[in-house]
Amino acid sequence: MKILAPIRAFDELEMLAASGAEELYSGIVPREWMDRYTGAIWLNRRSPNGGSLETWSEMKQLVDAAHGAKLPVFITLNAPYYTAEQLPLVLELARRLSGDIGVDALIVSDIHLMARLSEENLAAKLHVSSVAASLNSEAIRFLMNFGPSRVILPRSLTVAEIEEITQDVGRDVEIEVFMLNDGCAFEEGFCATTHHHSVGAFCTSLSEMDVDFEWNRPVFTRRRRDWLMRNLADYRRWVWYVNGNGCGSTPKGLPYGPCGLCAIPDLERMGVASLKIVGREASPFKKMASVRMVRDIVERARAGVPKLHVIERARALRDEPEHCDSGYMCYYKV
Amino acid sequence: MEWSLHIAGTSDLEGDLTLDRVSAWEPSAKLQPVARLAAQAVGKVEFSRCAYGTEFCEHLLPSSDGLAEVARAVRERGLGFTFLTPYVSNAGIAQLRRLLERMEPGDEVAFNDWGVLNLLRRGFPHLTPVQGRLLNKSLRDPRVMGVYGESPAADAAAAATFAALQRSSADCAGYLDLLARFGVRDVEMDNLPQGMDLGFADHGVRVAVYLPFGFISTSRVCMAAGLHYRKADKFQPGAPCRHECQSHLVEYAYTNSPFSNRDQKFYLKGNTYFYAHTEPMLCGLFDHAGAGRVARLVFQPRLPMTAPAAAAAAEPELVLVTV
Repeated sequence: MKILAPIRAFDELEMLAASGAEELYSGIVPREWMDRYTGAIWLNRRSPNGGSLETWSEMKQLVDAAHGAKLPVFITLNAPYYTAEQLPLVLELARRLSGDIGVDALIVSDIHLMARLSEENLAAKLHVSSVAASLNSEAIRFLMNFGPSRVILPRSLTVAEIEEITQDVGRDVEIEVFMLNDGCAFEEGFCATTHHHSVGAFCTSLSEMDVDFEWNRPVFTRRRRDWLMRNLADYRRWVWYVNGNGCGSTPKGLPYGPCGLCAIPDLERMGVASLKIVGREASPFKKMASVRMVRDIVERARAGVPKLHVIERARALRDEPEHCDSGYMCYYKV
Repeated sequence: MEWSLHIAGTSDLEGDLTLDRVSAWEPSAKLQPVARLAAQAVGKVEFSRCAYGTEFCEHLLPSSDGLAEVARAVRERGLGFTFLTPYVSNAGIAQLRRLLERMEPGDEVAFNDWGVLNLLRRGFPHLTPVQGRLLNKSLRDPRVMGVYGESPAADAAAAATFAALQRSSADCAGYLDLLARFGVRDVEMDNLPQGMDLGFADHGVRVAVYLPFGFISTSRVCMAAGLHYRKADKFQPGAPCRHECQSHLVEYAYTNSPFSNRDQKFYLKGNTYFYAHTEPMLCGLFDHAGAGRVARLVFQPRLPMTAPAAAAAAEPELVLVTV
């Protein structure tokens, strides 16, 4: 089971490797994409400003140095779809990333792009992005038509569901799961909204809107309305957690937000191949702290430390018991 | 062009399927005017097909007997039958397998999950697969997409951006060829707030468009289902529910818009957010239909989140949770 860390600059490499990263992922948005489509259409699932590298020379430097440190690098080409006009540009990007740059895998969600890349016989492997919403074993069997070496499961799967999928298809394809930092209130692959800076994320935007309830039953009492309002307030609190506790950090500077540390012993036992830390756009310190936290728990799981002791350690590492106890900060309930 | 009507059960078929009648089915006072507006814009139609089921929640799947009963009633009226299926977990796949066994050759299944397509290909080749609208990828964020179309593009980049936003995953001929390889020749989609470029329909695929509601986003975490859980146990993905979504609708007003659309409304039913078509959106859709690029219009007089009749009847009384 590997620790997969986000990276957006060569300068972060040494620090991430020393902290325990065992795989890296990033993105690239060339200037010509921005010139053509402004910032309204994203080449991958992160804003072009801040989440991706911009030049080929930076990318080459990063990949060469990562390989020198024996770390594979995966690159996201995981927009939900590309139009006929965009596809040639994306295919050329993929060829260059695989050939000239030598990246180890391309992370893809659009099945058309997956099919095209599988026909190209590139050196880079294919990873199915969580945006492809592989929520069941049958979906993964379908996607195997395109020859991926890994499938990234959506955040919304439970530990029991991950275990069932891993038993069904884990011998044919590697399974990667989310581990730290960023949630999604919706099913990422079925969310048709934009995170463009002009409007922000839909889920958080909703929390600031006026709301009216319509009760479909004969009597809508004050008591029922209060009940609905309390549930709405709880939901808005949950969305706050999903968005990294309001994008904050603990008093010690550690990352807040969705967390799967307590599930690591279960994920290790199931044979999950990789644990994804989210946040290409995050600060180097947040990335380092995230990798260290995950490494601490992974090493204990690998050493066979009993599950309850690992969970105690995970909670101690987070050092924010009220947030752990809220029930809203966990990717996975264990 | 064909017209399809989304029904919630056999009782919908007990009477004439006139737009005047069906546009009154939505019980919500907030939503019924949307259905009425669409009905007025359409005028008079004859439905030749019925759609049944939901695309958004596996907890709303009908029973096997319920599905068979509805399909039989539809066929007895001489109408075609389309079963709408949601994105699903492994448990949902198992449930769908039992449901699909009750369908008959020629029936359509709209799939919104690649796993469901695989299930159809492996076990039910006699059923006709239709790509559902959740797998027709496009940005359809009504907060901002309409704004892109309000003024002429300022430069080439803005024009290219707007053109791309009006397209979807179906835009590539190669994608349609890929679908055809898997036996899929029909795609469903939403009427986009920014307008649609349906040029891809010239490649031989049959396009179906839903009205008068479009989906914005959906989730395995359901706000309504949280009503009956302790606070710390709420909002777990796929958690069992009591169909709390049937009891109420949530209307959001976009009061925090940075644009002029602060009166815009969004609707949450259970785990899914929807937008309502405006009159200009309906006109744009009918223009496409008039140009021959739409093979089917699917009229959904209700938000498509109706529980199967038997399950809805079993909904428990209100229980207030102490936290």
